[in-house]
Amino acid sequence: MPSNVIMPQMGESIFEGTLTKWLKKIGEPVKRDEPLFEISTDKVDSEIPAPASGVLSEIRVNEGETVQINTVVGVIAEEGTAANPAPVNAETKEASKPPAAQPVLEEPAEESKPEPEPPTPASRTVRSSPLVKRIAREEDVDLAELEGTGLGGRITKKDILSHLSGRQSTDVPPPGASRPQVSSAARSMAGSSEVVPMSAMRKSIAEHMLASRRTSAHVTTVFEVDLTRIVSIKNQHAQEFLQREGSKLSYMPFFIKTVAGALKEFPVVNASISGTDIIYKKDVNIGVAVALDWGLIVPVIKNADEKSFLGIAKAASSLAERARQKKLAPEDVQGGTFTITNPGVFGSLFGTPIINQPQVAILCIGAISKRPVVINDAIAIRSMAYLTLTFDHRLIDGAVADQFMSSLKTKLEQWEEPLL
Amino acid sequence: MAAVTYLEAIRQGIWEEMERDSSVFVLGEDVGIYGGAFKVTEGMLERFGEDRVVDTPISESAIVGAAIGAALMGMRPIAEMQFADFISCAFDQITNFAAKCRYRWSAGVPIVIRGPSGGGIHGGPYHSQNPEMHYVHTPGLKVVTPSTVYDAKGLIKAAIRDEDPVVYFEYKFLYRRLKEELPEGDWTVPIGKADIKRAGSDISVITYGAMVHLALEAAAKLANDGIELEVVDLRTLVPLDKERILESVKKTSKVILLHEDVRTGGMAGELAAIIAEEAFEYLDGPIMRITAPDTPVPYSPPLEEFFLPKRSDIIRVARQLAAY
Amino acid sequence: MELNRQTLLDMLYYMKLTREIETRIERKLYRQGKIVGGVYVGRGQEAIAVGSCIQLEKDDCICPSHRDMAAFLIRGITPREIFAQYMGRKTGVTKGKEANMHMGDMRRGVVAFVSMLADTIPVAAGIGMAYRMRKQDNVVLCYFGDGATSRGDWHEGLNLASVQKAPVVYICNNNYYAYSTPLEKQMAVKDIAVRGAAYAMPGVIVDGNDVIEVFKATQEAIRLARQGGGPSLLECKTFRMTGHSAHDDVKYVPKELFAEWEKKDPILRLESSLLRQKTVSEDAVKKLAARITREVDEALAIAENDPFPDPAETLEGVYADQNVEAPLAFANSFFSQER
Repeated sequence: MPSNVIMPQMGESIFEGTLTKWLKKIGEPVKRDEPLFEISTDKVDSEIPAPASGVLSEIRVNEGETVQINTVVGVIAEEGTAANPAPVNAETKEASKPPAAQPVLEEPAEESKPEPEPPTPASRTVRSSPLVKRIAREEDVDLAELEGTGLGGRITKKDILSHLSGRQSTDVPPPGASRPQVSSAARSMAGSSEVVPMSAMRKSIAEHMLASRRTSAHVTTVFEVDLTRIVSIKNQHAQEFLQREGSKLSYMPFFIKTVAGALKEFPVVNASISGTDIIYKKDVNIGVAVALDWGLIVPVIKNADEKSFLGIAKAASSLAERARQKKLAPEDVQGGTFTITNPGVFGSLFGTPIINQPQVAILCIGAISKRPVVINDAIAIRSMAYLTLTFDHRLIDGAVADQFMSSLKTKLEQWEEPLL
Repeated sequence: MAAVTYLEAIRQGIWEEMERDSSVFVLGEDVGIYGGAFKVTEGMLERFGEDRVVDTPISESAIVGAAIGAALMGMRPIAEMQFADFISCAFDQITNFAAKCRYRWSAGVPIVIRGPSGGGIHGGPYHSQNPEMHYVHTPGLKVVTPSTVYDAKGLIKAAIRDEDPVVYFEYKFLYRRLKEELPEGDWTVPIGKADIKRAGSDISVITYGAMVHLALEAAAKLANDGIELEVVDLRTLVPLDKERILESVKKTSKVILLHEDVRTGGMAGELAAIIAEEAFEYLDGPIMRITAPDTPVPYSPPLEEFFLPKRSDIIRVARQLAAY
Repeated sequence: MELNRQTLLDMLYYMKLTREIETRIERKLYRQGKIVGGVYVGRGQEAIAVGSCIQLEKDDCICPSHRDMAAFLIRGITPREIFAQYMGRKTGVTKGKEANMHMGDMRRGVVAFVSMLADTIPVAAGIGMAYRMRKQDNVVLCYFGDGATSRGDWHEGLNLASVQKAPVVYICNNNYYAYSTPLEKQMAVKDIAVRGAAYAMPGVIVDGNDVIEVFKATQEAIRLARQGGGPSLLECKTFRMTGHSAHDDVKYVPKELFAEWEKKDPILRLESSLLRQKTVSEDAVKKLAARITREVDEALAIAENDPFPDPAETLEGVYADQNVEAPLAFANSFFSQER
C-alpha cells in the first residue's frame, strides 16, 4: 500500500507551509522516521520525517512551492514498486484527501427535498397568528371569511374556535377548558350516520393503498410451510432468551432472517421499478408491519442480511416497542426494500396483501396451527402455516416468485442457524 | 414541624445531609465561628467540628479549587460564596475545571457552590447581582434557583446528592420573608423539573426565584378581571424542563418571560428561542419579556425600584397580551 | 522508599522512556501529521517528575503539568495509552475528548490539569484537605512551572494549603522560560523558593537536572507532609531544551544557553554516574536502550491502528445523568412530520 506524505500543521493557526527542500529523490529508498523534506511556515522551519518505509515514488509538490496543510506532497510506494516520474505541472494547490491519521469528515448524504406542502386554505392578508393559521389549515377554514376581534381586527384563537363550534349543531366546548380537541370540533350529527374526519395517518394509509393497487400488477402465490422445527427451537430457547435479553423470543426474527437470506439469492425481489428501469437495491432493509391502536406503521430493520439472529431479534423488538410508544424516528420507517406482514397473529389463515410501494413484493405470514399432514404416506401432526407472497408482475414472473418462496420454505423447514 | 423561613430551610437541608453523609462538609468565609454572614450555617461548627465546617481565607478561587480537589477524592463539599456576586472570582475554577472534568476525563465533581443572589435589599451593584447566566452558558454545570421554602430545602438536598457540580442561587430577598411548614422525613425536590405554581388558561408566565412571588401577586389581581395566568416556576435553569414549559405554552398560546436578571443574555432570551422554535404553531401572540434593564444594579431606592420588574409591569403587559 | 540500586535503575528507565516517547511525538508523529493540535514536551526536565513521583504510594495523588510525562508513566498510564491520547483515538486516556497531556484518571491517582495551569494549585490543597479530614497519611504532589507562579490561583492555593496544613508537596519546574518570557521579566525575585516563606512553608532550591537531589528533597517534603507538618515548596531549577511547544522556533533563546545546558542533561548525568560507580555496565545500558525502543515501537504500532471515537460520542459524558440534545434534533423531526 503506498503512503501519502502530507504537509503537516505546525501550529494551531497555521494553514499552509512552503516546501523548501526535498532530502530524497524519486526512486530513492526511504526509511520511516528518516528526514524526508524541509518546510518553512510563519512560525517555524522544520525537518519532516518520512511517515513510512519504502521508495519515494512521487513528488507532487516541488521545492519553493507553498501549499495548504494536509496537501499530499509526495507518495512513498512499497519496496520494489516502479517509481512515477514527477509530473511537469504538478497540481499542488488542491488539498487532497487527508491521510488515515485524520478522520475524513464526510458530509451526510443530502436529505431528499421534502414534498411541497399541500396548499393551505387562503389566508391572504388577514392578520392572525401561527396558532390560528394552523387551526385554519387543519380544519379547512378560510380566514378571510372570519371577523377578527383581536387588536387591529386580528383573528384570535377565540375567534376561530368559536367559528368552528358554530359549524356544528351540538354543544360548544365550555370556555376555559383545556386545549380543545380541534379535530373533533367539526363532528356533525346528520341523520342516521356520523361523519368523522380521517386522522392524518388514516388519510395517508388510504392514499398509499389505492396508489399501490394502481401502480403494481398484483399477483399472489401461496405456499404451505412446516414450521414444526422452528416451533420446537423457539420453545427450547424461550426461557434462556428471556433471561438473557429481557424480552420474549417471537417467531418474527426467524422469518426476517430467512427472508434476508432469500432476498440475497433473488435480488430482483429486493428491487424497485423506476419508469422502465429496474433499481436493484444493495441493502436489504426489511420492514415489519406493526398494528397499532391508531393505525398501521412499518418500521424497518436496516441491513437485515448483515445481522445475526440475535441482532435481528433485538432490532425487531426495539422497533416494535418504539412504535407502540410513538417514539419512532423518521429513519426508522424509511428505506425499506421488502415488507413482511403478519396477520396470522390475529387468526388469518392467509392473506393477499397490497405491496408497500416502491417495493415489488410483500410477504404475508398466516396463523401457525397444528394440522394433520401426510409425510411419507403417514399422517403426522405438524405446526403448519400459509405464507403468501404478493408480487409485482411487471418485474417478477410467477416462476421466480415461486422459486423465492420455495427457497424460503426450505430454509424455514430446515432451520440450522444458532440463535444466541 | 413548626414553620421555618426560606433561610432556615436551607440550613435544615444542609444539616440533614451532613448528618446523613460524613463526606459532606462546608467551606467558605465566616461559615464557622460566625455561622455565615446570613447565619445559614449557624450552629454547624459546634455540631460537626472544624474539619467539616471550614473557615477559609478570602479566596473564592481557592475555595472552589479546594472543593474540586476534595470532590475528586470522593468528598461532597458545599462551597459558600458570601454574596453570589463574588462568584466571579472563582469563574475560572467553576467553568474550566469543575464543569469539564467529567467530559474530559470521566471524573465526577460532586460539589455545590451556593450563595445569596438578587436585589431589592439596597445592596448596590455588588450585593444584588443575578450571575446565573454565566453558569447556564457553561456545559457541565447544573444551575438551581429555588423560590419557595419547600423548594429551597428539597433542592439543596438534591444538589448535595447530585454527582455533578451544582450552582445553587438563593434569593436573599426571600430569606426571612417566606415562612412555611415543611413535611417531616427525608425528601428532596428533583433537579431539572419545573413546577406549576399556579394553573391558568390564558397566559403562561415563566419565571424563577423571587419573581415567582411577584407573578403570583399579579395573577391574583388579574383573576378579578377574568385573566387567568399560569405561573411556571422553572426551579432549575440547567437542565431545563423543556417538556413542562412547552406543555404550558401549548395550553395557553401566550407567554410572558419574567426575571430580575438583566435583559441581554438573560434566561428569557433562551426560553423565547426554544418556544419560538418548538411551539411556533401554538402561539397566538408575540413572546413578551419582562426583565431588568441592561445596567448594573443601582443603589438609591428610586433607582433600584425603576430597575427591578414590578407587579404593575406584569399586570399591564398581561392585559395587553390578553387583548391582542 | 530507599534510594537503592533498583530505585536508581528505575529512575534511569523512566527518564529514558519519557525521552524516547516525547521524541517520537515531537520530532516524528507531529511532523508526519499523525498528531494534530499542540505538542508540549519536557525535554531536559525529566529528572523532576521522576525523582519525585517514583517515591509515591498507591493511594497518593499527583497533579502533574504538561512537561511531566514521566509522572504519568510512573502512575501506570502506558505508552500505548499516551500515543493513542495524542492521536485522538478512542483508546486514549480521555477517549478523544482531550488533547496531548490534558489527561487524568482518579483510579491511578492522576488529576488532569486544565490549560489555566495554576488552577491545580488550590485543587491540590483540597485533595490534601480531604486526606487530612479522612485521617489518611497520604500526600499529593503538585507540579507547575515558573509561569504558573504568577497567577492569583497559585498564591491563593499555597496560602490555603499552608493555613490548612494540607499534605501537599508543591514542585516548581523552573525551566526559566514561560513561552518567550524569561524569568527576569516574570518576577522581581531571583528564586521562586523564597515565596515559600510568605506562606510559612519550607522553600527549597533543588538542582532540577540531578535526579538524586530531586529524590532527596522530595523525600524530606513528603516525610513532613505525612507527619502533618503541612506543605513544602520545591523549586527545581532546570532549563527548557525545546520551544514552548512543537511549533515554536525558540529564536528568543540564545544558542549558547542550549549548549551549556546540554552538558547538564539529567539522563546523561545519571547514566555516566552509574557507569562510573559500576552500579551498571555498558552492556546493561545498551540493553536498556534497546528494550525501551522495542516497548515504544510496539506501543506505537498498536496505537496507530486504534480507532477514532464515534462522532456521536461528542454529546456524551457532560453529565452523569443527563443527555445533551443534538442541535438539529428538533429541526429534523419537525420538518418530517405528517401534517
